[in-house]
Amino acid sequence: MSTKPLDMEETSNVIERNLAPLASRSEYVLEVNNFSVDYGVGENMVRAVDNVSLNLSRSKVLGIAGESGSGKSTLVYAMTRLLRAPGVISGGEVTLNITSDVDDHLDSSVNLVTASEKELRKIRWSHVSIVLQSALSALNPVLRIGHEFDEVLKTHRSKMTKSERRNRSVELLKMVGLNEDRLDRFPHELSGGQRQRVMIAIALALNPELVIMDEPTTALDVVTQREIVNELNELRSRFGFAMIFITHDLSLLVELADEIVVMYAGAIVERAGASELYGSPRHPYTLGLLNSFPPLHGKRTELVGIPGSPPDLADLPMGCSFAPRCPFVMDRCTHDSPPLASLGESGRSVACWLHATDASVPVPVELSRRVADQVTGVTVLKGLA
Amino acid sequence: MSNQVNAPVQLSARHLSRHFTTRVPGRLFNAKHVVRAVDDVSLDLIQGHVTAVVGESGSGKSVLARMLARIIAPTSGELELEGAPIRVGAKRTLDYAAKVQLVLQDPFASTNPVHRVRHSLERPLLIHGADKNDVEALAKAALTRVSLDPPERFLDRYPHELSGGQLQRVSIARALCVRPDVLLADEPISMLDVSVRLGILNLLRGLCDDEHLAILYITHDIASARYLADEIIVMYAGQVVERSRGSVLVDDPTHPYTQLLIASVPDPSDPTSQASQKVERTTFALAEVGCRFAPRCPSAMDICRTTNPPNFQVGEGHVSRCWLHADKPEVAVEVALPERRREGESTKT
Repeated sequence: MSTKPLDMEETSNVIERNLAPLASRSEYVLEVNNFSVDYGVGENMVRAVDNVSLNLSRSKVLGIAGESGSGKSTLVYAMTRLLRAPGVISGGEVTLNITSDVDDHLDSSVNLVTASEKELRKIRWSHVSIVLQSALSALNPVLRIGHEFDEVLKTHRSKMTKSERRNRSVELLKMVGLNEDRLDRFPHELSGGQRQRVMIAIALALNPELVIMDEPTTALDVVTQREIVNELNELRSRFGFAMIFITHDLSLLVELADEIVVMYAGAIVERAGASELYGSPRHPYTLGLLNSFPPLHGKRTELVGIPGSPPDLADLPMGCSFAPRCPFVMDRCTHDSPPLASLGESGRSVACWLHATDASVPVPVELSRRVADQVTGVTVLKGLA
Repeated sequence: MSNQVNAPVQLSARHLSRHFTTRVPGRLFNAKHVVRAVDDVSLDLIQGHVTAVVGESGSGKSVLARMLARIIAPTSGELELEGAPIRVGAKRTLDYAAKVQLVLQDPFASTNPVHRVRHSLERPLLIHGADKNDVEALAKAALTRVSLDPPERFLDRYPHELSGGQLQRVSIARALCVRPDVLLADEPISMLDVSVRLGILNLLRGLCDDEHLAILYITHDIASARYLADEIIVMYAGQVVERSRGSVLVDDPTHPYTQLLIASVPDPSDPTSQASQKVERTTFALAEVGCRFAPRCPSAMDICRTTNPPNFQVGEGHVSRCWLHADKPEVAVEVALPERRREGESTKT
């Protein structure tokens, strides 16, 4: 996948290699540049999202991985302007490129950060929709499922008649494998998986170009998770919407996403294609995350995972925020924060001094594997060519 | 992994069942469902062993744990603590609580948010008759056992000041401070961040290997069960469908449900693993006859819909409740590990 190189004006000490050709703008549904979000202002300010830039191509899946407090949910809430006070967008821009629509009089590209409430109302649901983690709290407990569908269609498609709305709702439910009698049920009468399916059906009601999934399967067990993930893949191939999928389950993302960004303490620490990230992680945190899942096959050996505990955003260490937990920590890491710099491989970037061109130590074997080596089990060569 | 074949059985359950009656929705009188949340489950918790119970939501695994902790009374069946039977219906005693402790899924819900960690640890100690002057030292010792070092740093913190992983360690410390022989852990890692999960699993393994606790590990994550357990029990709709010593059933699953569970785990190393089932979940109360898994089973046969399968011995220490293995010897099984149990008993006499 070709990607636009990241905007890295401060990274004078890192040479950007292999710049991908600048793609035409409309190739991306969403472009996020130097986006930052704070909670609170003044002395007690906490930076929850720190200078994040990313692009999402049409009909592709971007996975965002990270543990609680890494800023992944804050990022998408702020991006869609759903974030409430004390959350404040403190910088950057988010451009949404809309393809077409008949009567909403929107420009083909909208800066979501500066968009008015009126514009946002037109964009939400018709162009961008969101599925939240807890379907039980997202659905109104005293309204029947049918009402939720009705409300969306009434608001955004005022010309539809009552029976048209009903038919569309039934059609949407069928799409996610639910029977139409569910329309007359209350949320508590459905199982967790069914509720999440209803959420997905409602999100797709107006054929959006971008669907944001905030941990949609975290509260479900593995079997239901598998069903939902398969269904999402099917729906995506039918309707071709782009998707941002947020989760802390990296192995799920590897299966689902085209490209993955890994966040730590509000910043992107690594960004790569899904299989590249899995086969050859470059950031120690990514490596740790991948090693945190006990495998289903192979010998049972003791795993270590990531030592220490997740960072406190109000009290981040100097330098690299992962340094206190990093097994490869160097002097430089404790006082100098590494920028996200592109690697010599297509579209990959990583924020780690180990991969800097002027690094004083060779890159550790674990972080310099090539994808092919991992697959075939060939002994690994040190360093990046 | 530990190989203490002769280790004594700490807690054993025989034919444990728990049925709940519910009203049929929409009908006021006399229409009742019986939900068999746990149906005829037997297991042994052995000193220095981790027994894992795996199943999806609603399979009855948490009800089982609560029956073992005697928070929920079984409808029928027997419990035996260190060989001494416990009468059905008898009240849970302090002695029992001192021997068998439960750790719950969400540490933020299971610790009191208005009290410091000190309170959570010292209270059970005082209730269990520790001397007032010793409790602080005992609480510190408990924190050290779960690798919260130095303990002074944590004693006076409030739950909200700790991360999920640290707080889960506190709740394990709370369970450990009365020096139990059996630890029941109900999904102890599912609410935690990926990066700290392994730490908790390794802690449980350490408690088992170094301090010879008998541990029941309940989870829906079969990969973590494989990582941790000496025996794995797979439950579906209240029944044990497959059980094996070690990780045999993960490496070589014989029951279609176990196969489904394993295929559902995201496994990037195997891109072909894409289990798909479009069947809507059955209500457990409806599967009155036949195998409970039959409505969802890809290889269901006629017999499956009429007769509930018995347990078949599909390998050494490996039992599967499925008609597909009808050619194998039938076992009246309570436990997958009959030999070990016999030896365990002989050491006791």
